[in-house]
Amino acid sequence: MSIAPLTEDQRDALQEVLNIAMGQAGNSLARILDAFVELSVPRIRFVEVSMVTSTIEEFVPCSGEVTAVRQAFFDDLRGEALIIFDQNGCQDIADLMGYDDHLDVQAQQELLLDVSNVLVGAILNGVTNTLGTHLSYSAPSIMAERTLLNQIITPENVPWTHSALLEVNYSLKDRDFRSHLLLFMAEEAIEALRKAVDDFVESF
Amino acid sequence: MDSHAATTPLLNFIVDRVNIGIFVINKEMDIILWNHFMETYSGTSAEEALGQNLFKQFPELPSAWLKRKINSVFILKNFAFTSWEQRPYLFKFPHNRPVTGGVDSMRQNCTFLPVIDEKNNEEYVCVTLLDVTDTSIYQNRLEETKQQLAEASNRDGLTGIHNRRYLEDSILKEFARATRYKEALSFIILDIDHFKHVNDDLGHLAGDEVLRRVAEILSATVRDTDILARYGGEEFGIVCPSTRLEGAMMLAERVRTSIATTLILYDEKPVPITISLGVAQFNNDIDSYEKLINQADTALYQSKEKGRNCATYYIKDD
Amino acid sequence: MATPITIVDDSTMSRKLMIRALPKNWDVEISQAQNGQEAMEAYHQGKADIMFLDLTMPVMDGYQVLETLQKTGLNSFVIVVSADIQPKAQERVMQMGAMAFLKKPVNTEEVTAVLTEYGII
Repeated sequence: MSIAPLTEDQRDALQEVLNIAMGQAGNSLARILDAFVELSVPRIRFVEVSMVTSTIEEFVPCSGEVTAVRQAFFDDLRGEALIIFDQNGCQDIADLMGYDDHLDVQAQQELLLDVSNVLVGAILNGVTNTLGTHLSYSAPSIMAERTLLNQIITPENVPWTHSALLEVNYSLKDRDFRSHLLLFMAEEAIEALRKAVDDFVESF
Repeated sequence: MDSHAATTPLLNFIVDRVNIGIFVINKEMDIILWNHFMETYSGTSAEEALGQNLFKQFPELPSAWLKRKINSVFILKNFAFTSWEQRPYLFKFPHNRPVTGGVDSMRQNCTFLPVIDEKNNEEYVCVTLLDVTDTSIYQNRLEETKQQLAEASNRDGLTGIHNRRYLEDSILKEFARATRYKEALSFIILDIDHFKHVNDDLGHLAGDEVLRRVAEILSATVRDTDILARYGGEEFGIVCPSTRLEGAMMLAERVRTSIATTLILYDEKPVPITISLGVAQFNNDIDSYEKLINQADTALYQSKEKGRNCATYYIKDD
Repeated sequence: MATPITIVDDSTMSRKLMIRALPKNWDVEISQAQNGQEAMEAYHQGKADIMFLDLTMPVMDGYQVLETLQKTGLNSFVIVVSADIQPKAQERVMQMGAMAFLKKPVNTEEVTAVLTEYGII
């Protein structure tokens, strides 16, 4: 199945939608974390499954082990979000969220899932607010712990051949914390995305 | 609009009777919907619950955490979740598997859903509770099996002590730790003297019995923090974390004595057994764990040269 | 006489949105710039009495434009238009000489409110 990439106008519009969403997400996070969030310029790619690992490595400049959380979203748009934390990020989270005490493994995982859920919800709510679409979410789950970046996805197990890949990252001023968020929307889901973007452009 | 009005009672019925816990709270944390599932398992009827503050009605709830969770849904207008794997339950409810359970209460996956009533623009949070006790039991069994498998793959079939694979994993881990935190680490390798004679003279069954008995004596002699494993054939290894050479030599000597002085019987006849040992200590010159093993090996060879039944430590020959 | 304004944003879409959000009865002559450098050129050509300025852009970003204007004592009425709506980001651009801040996506009411506040319309 070959997928037509977005036109220049569609891509420009999607980029702008993501910028706005990123701004709203940053603001939500800043309120919760009481810190200044440095916003990234969202990146948009269309990838074939054979390129997925190299694209992730390009987007996430992290040589050590990482922990990855996944979460599905569905409704008007459909896809899967991957949130990648480096080990510093994982350790910083408890501190950020105001936990002083030592956390056991379950509590740490819960916190990681909570933060991932907030990061995903923040950016996607921004997208849906702007596009006027609706989304629901599955519960997030831990996909890989302390794993090398190039091993978090096994291309043989990926059920699609083409996917839109959107990347944003969040880092906090004066802190080590950084996390990368990858949104995958594969095959037919790309068409839904295209339609949502077209409707948005036409609404002006 | 008509069809909407017609389905409303139906929807109300379904929300009430569906086999999922559903309740709704407002910004003041007052309960404004409480379905039949919640009534049944909590023992609190909708009549008693409605209009009550959630945390006053159920003081056993983890209030600090739950308030923060619910508030985040109000602020971000975002879904939130809990999973039984990290937090077994929100409400401590009995489960429906009194016979086959193995867990003390209902395991729950919860979803927190932001809700806006468009009529009065009022915001609410709807919480759903899914009974995942069955899933949790299967998952726990699977985990236990996986652990048993992992454990089995780390054990030596004959002697029941750890195998070479586990030893190498451990030494790698301890080596990394010693390097990072500049901690002491020693390694002892030992070999049963003239084991070939036991096999040749008394048969392989006798050899097996000797290996089992030696493993037993070693297990009883090493310290809790030491990691003992069968390294291969008649060789055994002991990883000694946080232990300097002097300590490792003391341990080696103790191990040597216990083997030499314990009576080992085969077919009700005593089989005299001694061992030779080589000891090496981690230092800054050693940049890989293999080197540590090699140095212990060199020392073991010297023990054999010296006439066996003794322990030697590695000295750098300049 | 029409007021010369320049809309600075690397996104075509975003410039379009901005133009649509301008009050209907406002007599303006609109120029467009895709980055800070083009914005400064427009300024020097007298096309930017008022500048609607995005922050994240290639070549020369919005912060650099503000800095250049401030350092060289140039005089353009800058309204920052940004997706970064954190209060601290707003404070920062105001300190750098911006007169107002509009959050993306822009709407006519907010643009009108800002222009009215400063007696521009």
